[in-house]
Amino acid sequence: MNENAQTATGMASAADNGSAPIGQAPLFKQPRDGFFELRGTVSRTQTIILGFLGVIALFLVWELAHYLTPEQQRKFVPSATQVTGKVIQLFAEKGFLGDVAKSVYRIYLSFFIACLVAIPIGILMGSFIKMRALINPTVGGLRYLPAASFVPLLLVYFGPTDFAKMALLFLGCVFFLIALILDNIEAVPRALIESAQTMGAGRIHIIFRVTFRSAAPQILDSMRNMIAVSWTYLVIAEIVAATDGIGAVMMRGARFLHVDVIMGGILTIGVLGVLTDITFRVAAHFLFPHTHARR
Amino acid sequence: MGLFGNNFNAAHHAALEAAQKEGKFPLSVNRVSKEYLNGERVAVDDMSFDIKEHEVTAMIGPSGCGKTTVLRLMAGLEYPTRGNVESFGMPIKGPGPERGLVFQAYTSFPWLTVIENVQHGVAIQGYSKAEQRDRAEHYLKLVHLIDFANAYPDELSGGMKQRVAIARALAQDPQILLLDEPFGALDAQVTWEMEEMVVEICETTNKTIVLVTHDIQEAVYLADRIIFFTSQPGRIKEDMAMEFKDGQRFKRKEDLLSEPGYVEMEKRLYTMMREEIQGRIS
Repeated sequence: MNENAQTATGMASAADNGSAPIGQAPLFKQPRDGFFELRGTVSRTQTIILGFLGVIALFLVWELAHYLTPEQQRKFVPSATQVTGKVIQLFAEKGFLGDVAKSVYRIYLSFFIACLVAIPIGILMGSFIKMRALINPTVGGLRYLPAASFVPLLLVYFGPTDFAKMALLFLGCVFFLIALILDNIEAVPRALIESAQTMGAGRIHIIFRVTFRSAAPQILDSMRNMIAVSWTYLVIAEIVAATDGIGAVMMRGARFLHVDVIMGGILTIGVLGVLTDITFRVAAHFLFPHTHARR
Repeated sequence: MGLFGNNFNAAHHAALEAAQKEGKFPLSVNRVSKEYLNGERVAVDDMSFDIKEHEVTAMIGPSGCGKTTVLRLMAGLEYPTRGNVESFGMPIKGPGPERGLVFQAYTSFPWLTVIENVQHGVAIQGYSKAEQRDRAEHYLKLVHLIDFANAYPDELSGGMKQRVAIARALAQDPQILLLDEPFGALDAQVTWEMEEMVVEICETTNKTIVLVTHDIQEAVYLADRIIFFTSQPGRIKEDMAMEFKDGQRFKRKEDLLSEPGYVEMEKRLYTMMREEIQGRIS
């Protein structure tokens, strides 16, 4: 009884001096998460704002470069607004949309064919070590041949045709694509394949429904990276004897020292590249829901 | 292994049943040696033993004693250098669904949901769609994972991922369940839960189980028989029936502790483990 009384008074006194746990504890005031916080955090809104700031900064530097250039040479360094205006004019008056469509068609078709070749070869090499021993030394070597060096050869063989241009784009990425897909296939954990074997799965089942399925998100990522390389080859492919395409428009611009047209072409290719990248990312999001599952 | 899989056909099944009736062992290891690097490293040295039906056999020993190698030979994922491993009197020529294996590494297919993972193993056995669903649900209930049927493996904890692996292996209806340090990557509390779940599975399915572990307590708790391996090269140090358990299975791990003979058995195993580890250092 006596003890009970003592605890009761103890509680009462704690309540009296105001430090009793009434309600919730005050929120902890976090130290500021500054810009240069090591391995700090970034919110979604911040990411978008910062991304746009980067683009605006680039255009500001560009604009500045134009006005810092001496008066006589200034026409060789057109400003960002001039180039953007030129691109709009190209679209509106010069049928630039047709050229863009042509270039996009060349890139996508040649890249699609490169994938049709590279994915089966990569899977074969990654699945069968003897296939790898047979093919890899050759393909590995071919990667070091600069695609641009094929331009004269392709001109002799196929003339100034669409086929020649797409063949160059194909050669520019197919060997790298094979190497990347081989890596993706080989990175599939051995235990996944072995567990399928202990379930009684045959080789065909394992190759298509385990190895390929497991590597698919990484393969799509490799494709996303390699189509970017394809875009970098576009101008080389369309330099020689091309009458249409973004590269051809830029080469015509060069002949008349129209720097704004050249820069407009570069800008357009950059924007198209970014759009391609986004397309692949969106595709990956919907094709592979498990890669962004809640954890 | 057939190119298109599905090699678990009716004829094979009939042959297995005949062998079972003749009293052949689920697994027989006959004078098996496994050498690596052209004989420079001997993982397993002239080992022979049989696995008895409906028994839980634990293979235990210090790391590098070849216990996992023997299990992989039983699974058909590797081949012996000498001797042979037989299942119901037939030599093992490769992996097959009649010997289900649970790996230490997580092997759930990340692109499939939990129930699709279990169904995948069943589908290979040639069951109809409806049966696939039924079997998958049955075994997910057995491992207490039915509420997570539509989750992706990456959304699960390590213990839950291993439960998917166990359900998947059971759903393919193996004669023998091989467990390769299945709880090696889990924390102590989850391991405990999983061990009790294995006891539950033994009770309900009465499977022949071969368990590789480095955990002495786990071996004593789960096994009817412990085969202790020596350190490099792997030989049988001792083959012990867990007679003190008197054929009982303990639903709760702590109930084992008061069983007469338990402490002595565990002490003996620790002593043997110490001998092997010290032998390697000196």
